[in-house]
Amino acid sequence: MDKFKLKIVTPEKVVLTDEVNQLSVSTTSGQITILPHHLPLISQLAPGEIIVKHQNKAESLMAVFGGFIEVLPEEVIILADRAEYAADIDEKRAEEAKQRAEEALKEQHLDSEQFAMLSATLEKELNRLKVARKYKQKGIRNLQ
Amino acid sequence: MSQGAGDIKRRIKSVKSTNKITKAMELVSAAKMRKAVNKVLATRTYADLTWELILHLLKKVDIKHHPLFRENNPASTGVKNVAVILIGTNRGLCGSFNNQLARKVVASIQLHHPETVSTDIITMGTKVRDEARRMKLNLIADFPKNDITQDSNVVRPIVNLIFKDFVNQKYDKVFVAYTDFMSSLRQIPHVKQLLPFSTEIDERLGHIIHEKEVSQKADLNKISEFIFEPNQAEILNNFLPRLLEVQLYQTVLESEASEHSSRMFAMRNASDAAQEMVSSLTLVYNQARQANITAEIAEISAGASAAV
Repeated sequence: MDKFKLKIVTPEKVVLTDEVNQLSVSTTSGQITILPHHLPLISQLAPGEIIVKHQNKAESLMAVFGGFIEVLPEEVIILADRAEYAADIDEKRAEEAKQRAEEALKEQHLDSEQFAMLSATLEKELNRLKVARKYKQKGIRNLQ
Repeated sequence: MSQGAGDIKRRIKSVKSTNKITKAMELVSAAKMRKAVNKVLATRTYADLTWELILHLLKKVDIKHHPLFRENNPASTGVKNVAVILIGTNRGLCGSFNNQLARKVVASIQLHHPETVSTDIITMGTKVRDEARRMKLNLIADFPKNDITQDSNVVRPIVNLIFKDFVNQKYDKVFVAYTDFMSSLRQIPHVKQLLPFSTEIDERLGHIIHEKEVSQKADLNKISEFIFEPNQAEILNNFLPRLLEVQLYQTVLESEASEHSSRMFAMRNASDAAQEMVSSLTLVYNQARQANITAEIAEISAGASAAV
């Protein structure tokens, strides 16, 4: 089966480098799946999930928050602001973080900047939670 | 025992306790330096790939017209207004770190842009702010700095500020002054042009040990055209500020590594000096003690001979 190189990096670390068969990400214009020989593409990532199909049929699920994707003829590069493996997300803590953000949003006297920041936090935590739950339900095998 | 010997003993004690403090600070700085160096290395891949993306874009689409690439003033009129971001330290005790940086800024502005009319200074770190004020530089903003920067969020306000002012043509060029971490023994203050973007990869920034990694470059000839989603303008408008942020973040990390290593060496020198002082004071103390004993013996023997 055809394959392509995939690099997922964040400012903090290189999350994944591997040769893979298939990749699904959510961009600002919707969910896309990239197979080998995809046309060169540059797009912006939305908070969402990344699903990678590795060569040994295993899948990785990741929560990603913001960033860019660059598709080159034989290589795909994801420059994410934040990315973590679903298995690494502590569901309880993500839930707590979500609740904290929700409560803070309910409070009044927020200026627009604070509001935007809190909404972003909430969105991020919701996404992490979603990915963590999906991981749990489907029991997707995780490559680490 | 005479008063002199007692005084010396007290001084030895105080120098010894200072020595303990400087020793501890040296160890702390060494640990912080290691941490900062690791952070620079961790960010490097991201920064390099970000640059590569820009280079790919440059080859395929004309983005020179984007405000961040355009030189605000054609070369004929010269560079009039520049802004310099100084990345320094919050704390002292790190030798001439901040002073060197501020002086480098003044020198390089005079050297490269003698026609500059006004230079606005943005500082990060309280000590370098004080330094800039002392040198009577035109300070317009000061941003707080952490001891160890956790993520790139801290540079975002600075990016927003210079981005806005540059796009509005308030500044012709924006520089960042930071201390380049060559090795734990060598740190060099360095002024780098931030805006407008130059199209060359900076070999210095983020490459701590300055080794060249041979990475396989994608064959650009195979790429006929990039598809942009949602569209080119939006991608560029979101991506370029991010690039700016990454670059600034890297300079902050480099400065941090340099700060801690120069503090480490300042503290090591202080420890060495303290030890030297202790040994010379001990010598003086022993001499004073011996003189005391000799005087006492002389007194006793004088008394004894008088009695006989």
